[in-house]
Amino acid sequence: MKKRWLSAILCVSLVTVLAGCGGGSKSAEENGVVTITHYTIDSPDRTFVEKLIPDFEKKHPNIKIKVTKAPYEQFDSKLQSAIAAKNGPDVTSQWGYGGFMEYYNKGMLADLTPYLKDFKASDYNIPENLMDIYKVDGKTYGIPLNSYVSVLLYNKDLFDKAGVAYPPTDYEDKSWTFDKMVENAKKLTVDSKNLAEAQYGLDFGWGERDQRPQYFGADVYSEDTWTNGGKPSQINLDKPNVIDAYKQIYSLIWEKKVSPTPAFSKSVSGQFGDPFLSGKIGMSAVGSWSLASSNNFNFKVGVAAIPQGPNEKVRSVLYVDPLFVLKDSKHPKEALEWIKYLITTEVQEKSIELSGGNPPVNQKAAEKYYASFEGIEPAQIKQVYEGAFKYGFESYNHLMDNYSQINELFINELAGVENGEKKVEDVLPVIQEKLKKLLDRVNK
Amino acid sequence: MEQINLAAPAPVPVKSKRRPLSWNRIIGFILLLLVTVIMLAPLWFMVTTSLKNSKEMLAFPPTLIPQTFAWENFSELFTNTEIKFGQQYMNSLIVGVLAVIGTLLSSSLVAFGFARYHTKVSNLMFMLVLSTLMLPYPAIMIPQFLLFTKMGMHDTLLPLILPNFFGSAYMIFLLRQFFSSIPNELYDAGRMDGCSEFRLFANLTLPLAGPALATCAIFTFIWNWNDLLTPVLYLDSQENFTLPVGLASMMSSKFRLAPWNLLMAASILSSLPIIVLFTVAQRRFVEGIVLTGIK
Repeated sequence: MKKRWLSAILCVSLVTVLAGCGGGSKSAEENGVVTITHYTIDSPDRTFVEKLIPDFEKKHPNIKIKVTKAPYEQFDSKLQSAIAAKNGPDVTSQWGYGGFMEYYNKGMLADLTPYLKDFKASDYNIPENLMDIYKVDGKTYGIPLNSYVSVLLYNKDLFDKAGVAYPPTDYEDKSWTFDKMVENAKKLTVDSKNLAEAQYGLDFGWGERDQRPQYFGADVYSEDTWTNGGKPSQINLDKPNVIDAYKQIYSLIWEKKVSPTPAFSKSVSGQFGDPFLSGKIGMSAVGSWSLASSNNFNFKVGVAAIPQGPNEKVRSVLYVDPLFVLKDSKHPKEALEWIKYLITTEVQEKSIELSGGNPPVNQKAAEKYYASFEGIEPAQIKQVYEGAFKYGFESYNHLMDNYSQINELFINELAGVENGEKKVEDVLPVIQEKLKKLLDRVNK
Repeated sequence: MEQINLAAPAPVPVKSKRRPLSWNRIIGFILLLLVTVIMLAPLWFMVTTSLKNSKEMLAFPPTLIPQTFAWENFSELFTNTEIKFGQQYMNSLIVGVLAVIGTLLSSSLVAFGFARYHTKVSNLMFMLVLSTLMLPYPAIMIPQFLLFTKMGMHDTLLPLILPNFFGSAYMIFLLRQFFSSIPNELYDAGRMDGCSEFRLFANLTLPLAGPALATCAIFTFIWNWNDLLTPVLYLDSQENFTLPVGLASMMSSKFRLAPWNLLMAASILSSLPIIVLFTVAQRRFVEGIVLTGIK
């Protein structure tokens, strides 16, 4: 009896195994039809492109699109191993931790210039300066798809309760300064050890930690970083203006006490959550992706301009998401057809709703985006976006090589300052030293 | 019938079942209670969050008991076409069950060989098998990925199942140790009765190895059920994802609020098979010990 049972299982499992082997290995290139793989994070605001495929394939009968997915945290590792195994996708973007310059310096990206002879950015209403972000030495490596900016979200309920006037949306309003914002924040803050009572006026999450001094007119990296492929020749963490900028940033938590401590943020929103969502933060300087879920917030939300700070030129971080074609792609031309389709006005307009509120790079489609948030005037969002573009600087993580390692260094070392255990002037020399060693090692 | 003299002292003084309450015991009890509460708190949050609606899940301070019980979170997991939870559950079960079958079949055969047949090189071979334990998965990740991709198994469940049919060093070690403890006399008796070598394995060794096999089954199932890296590498489309990938995907976007309530509901459902397997296999475990009580 037992033996028969055992061999039955053996047979079943063998059959299953063999049956599975047969599938999968079909050739994709029958009758000149090519398959383009589009690799993305498995999140509705990215995977919505699947819904556009039938329409695209009808218009381009010789191209098939296959979407492959991975969770955000595992996006990079899956991409790296797929490329190592010569099984990489055709089209993807910097949706993981790594950024453009990292991809570029690893030689992952295809130069699109030869295929872009009759491509005009103006046909797709893409501003020329956005196209420049993904050029190196005049060669184009990426086509912009979405453009996020920095915005100042504020909790209207807390403003009403404290009797503070809403902040303006106009970047040219000269009365809206950093000091004014801090002053507002003071009125909104209830600094208490009791978590249920405590609330804070401002969460200044402007850019990543190494970019933040830029708002105060200080640059952590030398100017040549932005032209030489994201490799700084000099680090300025020992310069007085950079030290001063960091002191200003962290004085918001520890001297002025208008910003939440990391302990508070974690206790109200978990390890990676945004404390603004708890309704305990008056204003939050964040990337505009936070707007996408604003319809689910527990409170009324408003959007305002980032106030005028010490740096007159840069007040907003731009996060322009591009699409890349990978170097190993066998069909870069067809891949580009798919990308071009995704940035047409019609598709970009459709994508806003399908994605749940991704800001289109196509400025004509953007008009529709501005009008897609409950309880926020379209004209206000438009004004904030236009100001942010005018005073914007591209996010460092898109421009620097080995950014994930650099960013991690800043996060780890500055944690002591954020917790109030260490002083800025003690920590910055440590970062300076470690960053130098890191850059020497990776840029050899 | 003889009359029982109830008044007579019992031959052995009967110990009162309850020991008198001492401060030590009370403090001990309170401490244990505290630890229990601390241990159960995360579980409590998982269960309550799974029953909150999307507004309440963000409320601060969090409510201890949901104001309205949103049972629809559970049904939404199966009806929401963007999540494909049911399909992913199925995939995980297929991988888990076949992995257990594969590991048990292959590892027990190899372990039987190592335990029963001794040649000059068997120790060396056993060492070789054990040395594969030292290889971390990332070291074999890319070559294995290449192999399975070349075989056209990319984006199927096969790369997750097949390796289990080629034995697992850890399980071979575990089973060999167990098989070695089965007395030789049993095998001699079997041979006298005309058992073939395979029958010695299938009809004699395996039934006696209940506890060891149950342990192997539990370990293998849990490893495969929880594995995230391998499925992430091999699986591309949502309908082929296993549960860990699906769950990771649910909180994968920094651009959006994670649906914590759905995620918690999904977590509860995904921990069920492990709990069930554990309770069932644990009984087998004890049974096994009773059955093999040869002295």
